[in-house]
Amino acid sequence: MERRLPQFFFAFSLIVLALMLGAIWQAGTPAWKTYQQEFHRLEAAGEPNAAAKSGVLNADLVIRQDLLPGLQRVDRCTTCHLGVEDPTMKNAPQPFAFHPNLAPHVPARFGCTVCHGGQGLATDNQNAHGRVAFWQEPLLPKQYIRASCGRCHKEGEVPGVPELTDGRRLFETQGCRGCHKLNGVGGTIGPDLTEEGAIRRAPAWLERHFLDPNAVSRNSPMPNFHFTKEQARALTFYMLSLTSEQMATYYSSVRLIPSAGYGRELFIEKNCIACHNVGGVGAKSGPDLLGVTKNHSAGWLDEQLVNPELVYPGSIMPAYDLETNARKAIIAFMASATAEDAQSILAGRARPLTAQDAAIEAGKQSFARFGCVGCHGLQLQGGVPNPNSQGGEVPSLLHASDDYTKEEVIKIIRNGKVPPLDNPAKPAAPLYMPSWKGLLADEDINRIADYLWSLQKKKEGW
Amino acid sequence: MNRRSFFSWGTAGLVALCSAISVSLGAVVRFLTPSVFYEPPQNFKIGNPADFSFGPPTFLAEEKIFVFRDREKGFAVANAVCTHLGCTVGYFQNDERFHCPCHGSVFNADGAVQHGPAPRPLEWFEVTLARDGRLRVDKDHVVPASYRLMVS
Amino acid sequence: MMNPLRDVWQSIFRRDPLSTDKGKSELVFLNVWLHIHPAKVKKENLKVKHTFYLGFITFFLFLILVTTGVALMFYYRPNPPQAYQDMKDLQFAVYLGSFLRNMHRWAAHGMVICVFLHMCRVFYTGSYKRPRQFNWVIGVVLFLLTLGLSFTGYLLPWDQLAFWAITVGTNIGSYAPLVGARIRELLLGGHTVGEAALLRFYVLHVAVLPAVMTLLTMVHFWRVRKDGGLSRPVWKLKAEKSAQLVTIGAPDTSAPLAVVPASKDKTYGLMEVVTGKPIFETVSMEEEEDTVFSYPYAFFREGVALLITVATVMAVSIFWQAPLEELANPAKTPNPAKAPWYFLGLQELVSHSALLGGVIVPGLAVLALLAIPYIDPNPSRRPADRKWAIRAFTLFVVVNVVLIVVGTLFRGPGWAFVPPWVHITGAE
Repeated sequence: MERRLPQFFFAFSLIVLALMLGAIWQAGTPAWKTYQQEFHRLEAAGEPNAAAKSGVLNADLVIRQDLLPGLQRVDRCTTCHLGVEDPTMKNAPQPFAFHPNLAPHVPARFGCTVCHGGQGLATDNQNAHGRVAFWQEPLLPKQYIRASCGRCHKEGEVPGVPELTDGRRLFETQGCRGCHKLNGVGGTIGPDLTEEGAIRRAPAWLERHFLDPNAVSRNSPMPNFHFTKEQARALTFYMLSLTSEQMATYYSSVRLIPSAGYGRELFIEKNCIACHNVGGVGAKSGPDLLGVTKNHSAGWLDEQLVNPELVYPGSIMPAYDLETNARKAIIAFMASATAEDAQSILAGRARPLTAQDAAIEAGKQSFARFGCVGCHGLQLQGGVPNPNSQGGEVPSLLHASDDYTKEEVIKIIRNGKVPPLDNPAKPAAPLYMPSWKGLLADEDINRIADYLWSLQKKKEGW
Repeated sequence: MNRRSFFSWGTAGLVALCSAISVSLGAVVRFLTPSVFYEPPQNFKIGNPADFSFGPPTFLAEEKIFVFRDREKGFAVANAVCTHLGCTVGYFQNDERFHCPCHGSVFNADGAVQHGPAPRPLEWFEVTLARDGRLRVDKDHVVPASYRLMVS
Repeated sequence: MMNPLRDVWQSIFRRDPLSTDKGKSELVFLNVWLHIHPAKVKKENLKVKHTFYLGFITFFLFLILVTTGVALMFYYRPNPPQAYQDMKDLQFAVYLGSFLRNMHRWAAHGMVICVFLHMCRVFYTGSYKRPRQFNWVIGVVLFLLTLGLSFTGYLLPWDQLAFWAITVGTNIGSYAPLVGARIRELLLGGHTVGEAALLRFYVLHVAVLPAVMTLLTMVHFWRVRKDGGLSRPVWKLKAEKSAQLVTIGAPDTSAPLAVVPASKDKTYGLMEVVTGKPIFETVSMEEEEDTVFSYPYAFFREGVALLITVATVMAVSIFWQAPLEELANPAKTPNPAKAPWYFLGLQELVSHSALLGGVIVPGLAVLALLAIPYIDPNPSRRPADRKWAIRAFTLFVVVNVVLIVVGTLFRGPGWAFVPPWVHITGAE
């Protein structure tokens, strides 16, 4: 031992030195440096002269990051993805390829992960793309990336992403709220979907679930709605957009994209055709709106929508409570509206409603919006399986008047009802009528009852 | 115990150890040098050339720079931070000069100090045209006052 | 001849050259960092197979932890959620960040293991016996401090592993009668693990516990010196030497309290008798052939132990990443939620009975550990004379290890007993 001791000391000193150098080598040769060098070579090839070439080739290799305090993110994707804003890199191989149609979503303001997913803080491929354990937001597959538009643009239309509007519409009309809460409104049979896009970023799972709930979620009480592939995709897009993130004002100010399509929807919703005409088609109490954007500035038109009396004292046009982008949308529609548009709007309009009709119509809207159709069916036919309940399925409402008075039905809607069991020894039936008294105003409940009563089938005579 | 062997292996061991320690010290200094900065970037894009007017410069408050655009000569970007103690200077169109509100330094349109306690002229930053057509400012590169970027 | 540089040098390094015996002695007793050592040590003090240098290794691991810890402090903010972001930054954006973090994590695990092994070694060599009883007590306190440092550090990454391990750990602690809930409240600065808990754990981890550990370590080393130096296998002294053994008896009875080699009460200042002018008085005590100079024998051995420790931690840190799970989410409990591995034995006990398993049994175990030197009447350190003590302690060690192994490998969701070779298909 004595004689060998100095040798041991020397040997281990060398080992420590070697390990130190090894750690330094490991820290000094991350993959991103190689990517940056490769990109500089690509860039240099496009430079005109030797001085410029060498300038590019000798550029510093640094981690590049976009600080996004408003989105509470830090994205370092541009460390490797150096060509995203460089049109000359259109045909470059990944990770250097140019990102078309980026504006206005430039990385300096938006980063990358808010649309694409992934782990912005990471600087190596596996970790940055989020394909590692303990990162819940991996890169979205290409066909689903547009679903991320809905994370900020939560209302109206998103040009180029019809799936979001379709998905939202399907959600509201197919009765999903009957079982699922969204933003505080809905049933409690299924999970709350307010943050579904944040919790579950697995588009393949979501789509399979919409096509056949029981295939992915065993013994789920969710019925099979027999959606088409397109419908399942649209609903998946909508689900992925439900992230309820807190964003700084700059980002939340664009909840609504002021598109002409949405402007048309608002035009119909606010019933503008009741007073105005376009190219002569429509009502005559207000002016012709054809070409109105050529004769007046956008600011003037905006003011008109905010406060018509200010512009035209004595005007009977109501002051609509519309947000900035909603007004911009209407004006965008005005820029392109023609007499044909007015004609199609007139044709789609329902006949004028009596007070009673209005109540029934409102009841019908509520019935769909709050999800009753999810269990009771679009034609009130019922039929959704409910094992161990008497009758084995959700009842049809077409004969409700046979067994209940209107007041009793109103009471059931307010207080809910657990279906009586077929066999008390077996587990309780999974589906039940939830209590709506905190969630629906009494007026709404009365109108729903009116709607139901308007559709009652008389009992066949004995 | 062979004394001689001690002086060769032992000393060699100490030398190896000292090298390991100095390498470590170098690594520590590099460790403490930040690789990423939680601050506004030094190198950033300010927009398309068409967004900037001729005549008096455009002041960008967040980036603290003045963007000059001249019909003949092109773009120039001046630092709005006074060289005296760091306050933000303002540009006044009537006398075409920069005035600092803190201690009264006055700089002419080239950035040279006319008046006041400022020790050095205002800095001018390199401005280039990025490949997507937008202007890029690099605060890490200070250029002479005569530097201009000609944009067709 | 007047040589100013030489004067400056000699004003700093005042000892004689190391080629002389005087120089070797002065290297030790004139040097503030080294003078805890004796100038000369007995050869048996150096035996690797006796102490395995575990105490040294534990101390070196502590030094590694302090240096890497201070380095990490330059990049870590103890506020959730920045804490997690800083961990990611250390892993991805800081030069040598992941290496230093790994070193800190693996050295911490190593220190817990080595301090336990050191305790076992001290027991098995009977080195806690008179007059070293209180140093054993200090050692047990240092062991508990090591666990405390590891526990407080565990929360700092603020990931799911950290959050729930500390939730479980502080809940186990709250079972202590009378003071449990209060201690939990003081630790957490609230009712649940949150911002206040992270800050308190951070302060404990970087300031309070290291300071207390340093102070107690100083006492621990001092007492080792005063008690006669490092442990050595006394019972292996040759037969003729054993005739020189002396029995120390209690003053008024003849009952032997200890059997030690013949030397007077050993006070330090163990020097060679040399010519020249010493800085202070020294007294020579020991036989020449039994002792060697600390420099170079002891120091180079310690140096090699340090290098092996550092090299091992570095090698492990280069190849194995310390874990970092997803951001702490108070709304989502992982199933199962496990305490750090050194507390898993405790969690296993708690799963059977909160009061008995969580408070009484561990409490009694710690008290028993502390009391060992005082309840052990046998003065002999020879293993052959201590069979039952050795068996009892070995049982204690084995039970601990088994409990930890069960807690780590055999407990699955819901704390159900699931052997590790059975794969559970969980929910998606």
